[in-house]
Amino acid sequence: MNWTALHAKVMPSLLAGTSRRGLPSELIRPSSPSSDGALEMLSLMGQALRFERPATPDSFVVEPEIKDERRIIAEGLRRPLVRVLTAKNATEHPARALARAFERLRLRPHPFDLPLIDAFVRSNAERLGPTAQHWAERQKAEAETQSYFDPELLDEGNWAQAAISRRVAYLELRRRDDTDAARALVESTWAQEDADARFRLLQAMQTRLSMADQPFLSALEKDRAPRVRTLAARFLARLGTGVENPAVRACMERIKQSQSGLLRKRTILQLELPANVKDQAAARWILQAFTDVSFGELAGACRLTEKELIDASAKDVSLLLALAFIVTSERRLDLFEAVVAHLPNAWERMFESGLDTLGMMTESERQRWEEIIVQPYRKDLPTIYSLWDWLHRITDAEALPSVMSIALKTKLLMKVPERERGTFPWLEVIAALCPAPQRHELREQLAEFEQSQTVIPLVLLDILEGMENERTHV
Amino acid sequence: MSLTLERIEALAPDQSSLAAARKLLKASSWPTLAEGDGLVWGECHGSGATPYRVAVSEADAGYKCTCPSRKFPCKHALALMWMRAGRSVAFAPATVPDWVKDWLSRRRGASTAAAGNADDEDQPKTRPSMRLTEIPEAGADADPKAEQRAAAARERNRLEREAAMLAGLDDLDTWLSDQVLHGMANFVAQTAQVCRTITQRLVDAKASGLAGRLDALPTRLFTLPGPARPSAAIRELGQVHLISEAYRRASELPELLAADARQAVGWSVTREALLGDPEAMRVDGKWRVFAVISEAQPDRLRRVETWLWRQSGADGAPQCAVLIDFVPISGGAVGGYLVGDQIEAALSFYRSTIPLRAQIAELKTGAEQSKEPFVLPNGTLGASYAMYEHALAQLPWLATFPLSFRSARVRRHEEQLYLHDDESELSLPLQTSLASHALPLAGVGRIDGVGLWNGYEFTLAWAETKLGRWLRP
Repeated sequence: MNWTALHAKVMPSLLAGTSRRGLPSELIRPSSPSSDGALEMLSLMGQALRFERPATPDSFVVEPEIKDERRIIAEGLRRPLVRVLTAKNATEHPARALARAFERLRLRPHPFDLPLIDAFVRSNAERLGPTAQHWAERQKAEAETQSYFDPELLDEGNWAQAAISRRVAYLELRRRDDTDAARALVESTWAQEDADARFRLLQAMQTRLSMADQPFLSALEKDRAPRVRTLAARFLARLGTGVENPAVRACMERIKQSQSGLLRKRTILQLELPANVKDQAAARWILQAFTDVSFGELAGACRLTEKELIDASAKDVSLLLALAFIVTSERRLDLFEAVVAHLPNAWERMFESGLDTLGMMTESERQRWEEIIVQPYRKDLPTIYSLWDWLHRITDAEALPSVMSIALKTKLLMKVPERERGTFPWLEVIAALCPAPQRHELREQLAEFEQSQTVIPLVLLDILEGMENERTHV
Repeated sequence: MSLTLERIEALAPDQSSLAAARKLLKASSWPTLAEGDGLVWGECHGSGATPYRVAVSEADAGYKCTCPSRKFPCKHALALMWMRAGRSVAFAPATVPDWVKDWLSRRRGASTAAAGNADDEDQPKTRPSMRLTEIPEAGADADPKAEQRAAAARERNRLEREAAMLAGLDDLDTWLSDQVLHGMANFVAQTAQVCRTITQRLVDAKASGLAGRLDALPTRLFTLPGPARPSAAIRELGQVHLISEAYRRASELPELLAADARQAVGWSVTREALLGDPEAMRVDGKWRVFAVISEAQPDRLRRVETWLWRQSGADGAPQCAVLIDFVPISGGAVGGYLVGDQIEAALSFYRSTIPLRAQIAELKTGAEQSKEPFVLPNGTLGASYAMYEHALAQLPWLATFPLSFRSARVRRHEEQLYLHDDESELSLPLQTSLASHALPLAGVGRIDGVGLWNGYEFTLAWAETKLGRWLRP
């Protein structure tokens, strides 16, 4: 009896049951007179199946070739990295600090660790290089995936193939050097971009926005994505060529203008909040009301210069807050500094508003923005965890040494009530914010805490230093 | 000395255990801290009136603590290891106390020196717990008549068990015939229910090996895709019948195969009996831990398999061995061995046609994480699979078998990963639960490695790749 005969004649009987389909009598060889031979056939069939080799599929997936020029982090950093990112009570602060370091140092996680740190990779794929991007998008349909290309230097030839964050950064640089060339670059690929990429590229166009951009912006009034249309309309309004911005009109209806002074008349502006907006909701309302208003439009509507507008608002904290939002959105840090000079608790007020992005600011701009917002507190930094948590999330950058030195010199961590230190990851957020030159000082302060609280912060500092100084990345 | 901070970190069940252990690093928490014969032990103040007693074997990071924690190792054991590894606290040289010797005598693979001393003291080998008082020596004033009575009782018990087992096997035949009568498609539809009945019957018949096999069958079938289950049921039930028949006709079989049949039905050989057997195969060499597989069993025990690959020693002797331990289900790894550890030891193999299961007879060096390359044979996956087929022909109910390979590739077909050998065109499906972890291997080209084949799927355990070493998580 060969395998074919066994499979063809015995298998159907065993599957259906011998009560329905009897075993072929000519094949049965009972091992004893008392046996009907069925169990012998079961064993024989079972053993024959065990010798059957597993079927080889007709074809295999051809894995994409990913050109990843980044170096893989040193072997010794792999385990601590996985531990920090998968710790039971892991917060997002160490993950943010690590993602920034990967991007800045052009390193990448070891491919074998990607499954272990999957959530981190999904959240920070763009910062971790093409291999990580491919991993994060592995379940997307092929048509939706990007090309995984991450060259050391971008130029106009390879710009379109890079990750969107790098493309936006490159576009901004080009806008500063040559606005026309930058616009031409965007126009060349515009039709192939998805809605998110179109919006982010358009945001980058606000750098050195000029009348030469008007035809391109006008064409976007029919864009499929509403947020792209809205942003284009805002830019056109800023150029003075679009229709009047209805948001400006709505805001002006709530701004009361008056004069004061005996010798020299000065304009005083006051924002009247709706009667149903309570104190705690005021910041949130202001953020929403002034989102679509530009500083130039507002100054123009008030017939004031930029500086006069700030001076005129100096006595109204609500209006100052509104101006803080507007200049933040427009990356006018000179004006932001002037506004914060009149609004020393801008940090708390902006936190209350629910502001969750600094828009297109570069990392250095975000750091400077943070410095401006923290400086007024000087030696009296707030010991409210949510403020620091928000500050790190919104800036997504290391603090400038000037900011961290305030925190370290004033021994901020010592001032935090012990009970709160146990509840919130204070040490983690400060470690994630700490710039390299001050890590040593921070370690000295961490040594004064209970060891169980400093495990993650210290490992994070070790990894960051290892990434910066290790020579054995491959 | 094998206690390092990296090792302790790897042994810790979670981060919070390490954090808790860190709080116990003060010498003031430990009224007693001592060392001797490759062991460290101490007493640690806990919440109760009596301090917890903790002992650690430095050779293999084995540990024992009297605290009621359900974490293994507990914070006390971790703290003791930590203090030892960090050399932050002085350990007073002392004679090994009785409670440590007691623990030592009951664990496997104790260090040579410590085990030797325990033997010198002629301590009883099987005490149920760490005791503070001495137990009278059983053999000191032995009565010959009492011994004869005990031997007769043991023989009577054995015969009774044999009879019970044979009766159980008759019931098993009836049950198997019923399943064949109703068909495997029907069996698969109600596996859990029908297996439960016969499992209970086999437990009553003291055929624990077969009972365990049938108890695990529903789970095994449900891990397979639906269409593959009926044929898998034929394989599994066919093996059960083979074992049953082999047991009945053991006298007609070669000695080793008969031993395999007895073991598969439920007769077990104790560690002491194995180590005392002068005919048991003993293999010296350097052994590398390439997989530690832990599975919860329905009997609230966890079966921990520590797979070792021989890195040196005599040709012709088994290349691979597995140490099997059973620990409470809430526990962690029992022996403290980690993947990548290397030990130099003499292993005693249980008698079998295909010797795989072993016990450590003599541990010459403690477990150390080794950076040496993994020494693998030169054969391809196809060649290893041919060895598996050869072994299967000798032992028809062979379960998991180790396969080494060179120049194989991990390839993907839809969502399933395969280990593919270009030369033989053999493709083994990788364990489904490994899919995510093994996916990065699909892009790295040819790999060398070792894993475990259970007839259905391949558990890739260790791979050497151009990107470095990949280990099963």
